[in-house]
Amino acid sequence: MKIVLENLTKKFGTVVGVDDISLTIEDGEFVAFLGPSGCGKTTTLLMIAGIYRPTAGIIRFDDRVINQVPPRDRNIGMVFQSYALYPHMTVFGNIAYPLKLKKVPKEEQAERVREVAAKMGIANLLDRRPAQLSGGQQQRVALGRALVKQPDVLLFDEPLSNLDARLRLSMRGEIRHLQKELGITAVYVTHDQVEAMTMADRIAVMNLGKLQAFDTPDDLYDRPKTLFIAGFVGNPPMNFLEVEVQREGDTFYAVNSALRVPVPAERGEAAARHGGQVIMGIRPEDITISETGTVRGEVFVVEPLGRDDLLDVHLDAANRLSVLADPAVHLRAGDTVTLALDTRKVQFFDPQTELSLLWR
Amino acid sequence: MATFTSSAPTQRPLTSQEYRYRQAETGELVGQAIFTALVVVLFFELGVVLFKVLGPLIQSSPRFWGSDLKVDETLTRALANALTLLAPFAAYVTCGARLRELAAFDRRRAVRVALAATIIVYVLVTMGQYVFQVGPFAEKPSLEMSFRQTDEGVLVTGVVPGGTADRAGIKAGDLIVAIGRAPTTADELKEKIALAKFESKIGLRVSRDGQEELMPVEVVPVMEIGLAPLVGGLILALILAVIALFWPGGLTPYVLMVVIMIPLLVGYLWLIVATFSYRTEGLLPVDASGNFGGFTLRNWEFLTRPGTSSYPSIWRITLNTLVIASLMAIIVLTVSSMAGYALSRMNFPGRRAFLSLTLILHGFPAVTLLIAIFFILRNIGKVPVLGDYFGFNTRGGIALVMVAFEMPLGVWLMKGFFDNIPWDMERSALIDGASRWRTFWEILLPQIRPGILALGTFAFISGWGAYLIPQTYSVGTRTATLAVYITQLTGDTAPVNWNEVAAVGLYQMIPVFIIFIFAQEYLLNIYAGGTKGTS
Repeated sequence: MKIVLENLTKKFGTVVGVDDISLTIEDGEFVAFLGPSGCGKTTTLLMIAGIYRPTAGIIRFDDRVINQVPPRDRNIGMVFQSYALYPHMTVFGNIAYPLKLKKVPKEEQAERVREVAAKMGIANLLDRRPAQLSGGQQQRVALGRALVKQPDVLLFDEPLSNLDARLRLSMRGEIRHLQKELGITAVYVTHDQVEAMTMADRIAVMNLGKLQAFDTPDDLYDRPKTLFIAGFVGNPPMNFLEVEVQREGDTFYAVNSALRVPVPAERGEAAARHGGQVIMGIRPEDITISETGTVRGEVFVVEPLGRDDLLDVHLDAANRLSVLADPAVHLRAGDTVTLALDTRKVQFFDPQTELSLLWR
Repeated sequence: MATFTSSAPTQRPLTSQEYRYRQAETGELVGQAIFTALVVVLFFELGVVLFKVLGPLIQSSPRFWGSDLKVDETLTRALANALTLLAPFAAYVTCGARLRELAAFDRRRAVRVALAATIIVYVLVTMGQYVFQVGPFAEKPSLEMSFRQTDEGVLVTGVVPGGTADRAGIKAGDLIVAIGRAPTTADELKEKIALAKFESKIGLRVSRDGQEELMPVEVVPVMEIGLAPLVGGLILALILAVIALFWPGGLTPYVLMVVIMIPLLVGYLWLIVATFSYRTEGLLPVDASGNFGGFTLRNWEFLTRPGTSSYPSIWRITLNTLVIASLMAIIVLTVSSMAGYALSRMNFPGRRAFLSLTLILHGFPAVTLLIAIFFILRNIGKVPVLGDYFGFNTRGGIALVMVAFEMPLGVWLMKGFFDNIPWDMERSALIDGASRWRTFWEILLPQIRPGILALGTFAFISGWGAYLIPQTYSVGTRTATLAVYITQLTGDTAPVNWNEVAAVGLYQMIPVFIIFIFAQEYLLNIYAGGTKGTS
């Protein structure tokens, strides 16, 4: 089922929750809505589900406008962050509830519930009540309940937020696998970019009710179209420095009070064409601590992340960089380091419009 | 619990606590116990000082309390006295309680240490009492003479030379016949002396050699102590310390609970006893001549009394009450669960105003509305069909009025319960394919079951016991309830059999009692249902 949103807007009184969003989700695609809390991603999801009625705009499932269609006639399945299992029903009752409402015959109900339960690995829990289940098991029941009516669209509202880190990792893979296997169009709301990056075919990045970008994970990472996306996608986040790009012969240099580094010609040219001050973005993993480095700075804070140490390096009063370093080096706050910047993937942004100078 | 002796060391490794105690010298342990006990005493005495200082302050400051400030004065003084009295006992208990850890693994040593500490604390406390002349060393009013009861009167058996009686001219062998003009006995005289103020005078009418003479004797403060109270005090102190040492700590809350409950239990016991007796003296049923006995079923005869035109049978009355209470519970539940849902989940104009308004109604005294409601009910009575069931002087009408007063509470309670159900639960049901009504009925209502049972019980009980509204709007006996029936028993024109009133009261209480036994779980256990599948 293809989902089309056209100029979708939702206002709560005078507060704009979702502001003029247009996008198309292809049949069988897994799309993640990514954004900080309060950015309107759940509101959009609830409009697709039919819980909220859009203030303006159109929602289409394939070619059918479904703005006025009540949730029960949209044939969707939804998994909530709180799981929203019915505490007074058994697991069987929970999963069978959508079928019971569809007036599916009793025998068929039992058969389909068992089928789904087996697929979810909860066949032995059918007589339990939700309170007797662990978080992971409740999650599987919720997923089973969403799948049992064979929906055209699956909606997820931060379904993994309440799970512990390990379980989250395995559920991620499972959900992704299920979705591909069944070929159901899925919309997945999350504020966790790792979740979005690993699971989704395409990610819709939202902020303050507006759609910032709608692209594949790789494009978002390597070709961010706005400053917000560049800063939001990637962990630890991208470094931003105010520089001026100067041309010397065939070489372009990014220059400011603390550094002077060469940048690739095709990227440097675009920045130089804009002229004056631009914002240069460089990811922490593209910076290495090296004897041969050209940039000097003082280590200000050391955050051990396990595999790496995250350093906050002050170049001067205005310029600072996040750098990943090998913990074996045992750097401490106050140490002076020289940094080598790999500028092959450097990004440039217009400081006023915050749009990329490289990608349109 | 194993006891350890020095000759047979245990295989079990010592805990650090045990080790600490084993290392400690006995003297050290005794010292710790004494120190703690004295700190406790110090706190008590601080309290005493505080009350003594605070007392005059309270009495002097606020003028508008009027001149009659005796209450405050006696209160602070009583508190100070109570603290003074309790302080030594608290100290002895502390001596024992301080050593409970030790007692857990070495009983004998704990007892030895506790007893030693208690004896020393006792000596210290007694010395303190001597210095401050409190407790057994307090000065008591005295006439400084001894006397005993004889057939002729009170015989003076001895006087302290130079004492107040001696100075007044009383000699051994004198016969006291009266205080002032009132004839007296030795016991009465003792009481009179004990209650007398220092430096006041007691006029003794003394008969000597056949002559009667009035001799005023001044009451003087004298410190009288015998060995008995001191030894008795010591033994009591030691017993207290040992009890504190071995007192099972888990029992303390139960003991406190029982003590607090005693007045309540006595009340119920009295009610039950009264219904089966002609009359009672205190808790004891007595017969006409005041001896124990006099049991009767006479008070329960109302159960079999047939109804008359002026005095309906109890069964008719019970049925009325039952109908009104049930009707009330059903209407309150239906309306307030739906209203609570709407108020919790839907946004409509006037929602906030409605909520505040119901809250005001909740605080509105029913009495002020009685007359207005009377007119409303009478007008409803004129409506065909409806009027026959919900008009003035009908059971439906009475229930309706009480429902109105019960509703604000119900609506707010239900709204609170619905507020606790996460929105996701409802959204989930809607997406699963349920209609709004079905979601309410199948998903939400089961989750607030405890709330529904609690409110239903509450409404039923308040309808069952209601008095004001049934009394006002039921004329004659056709629609009377139990509460109204009880009022009829206590009319002004005939002597009231209070024991029968008690019996009807008890009868009325039985269903409430049964409901409470079954519903207390729901009434007490108000839970917030199921985000993460809690049930």
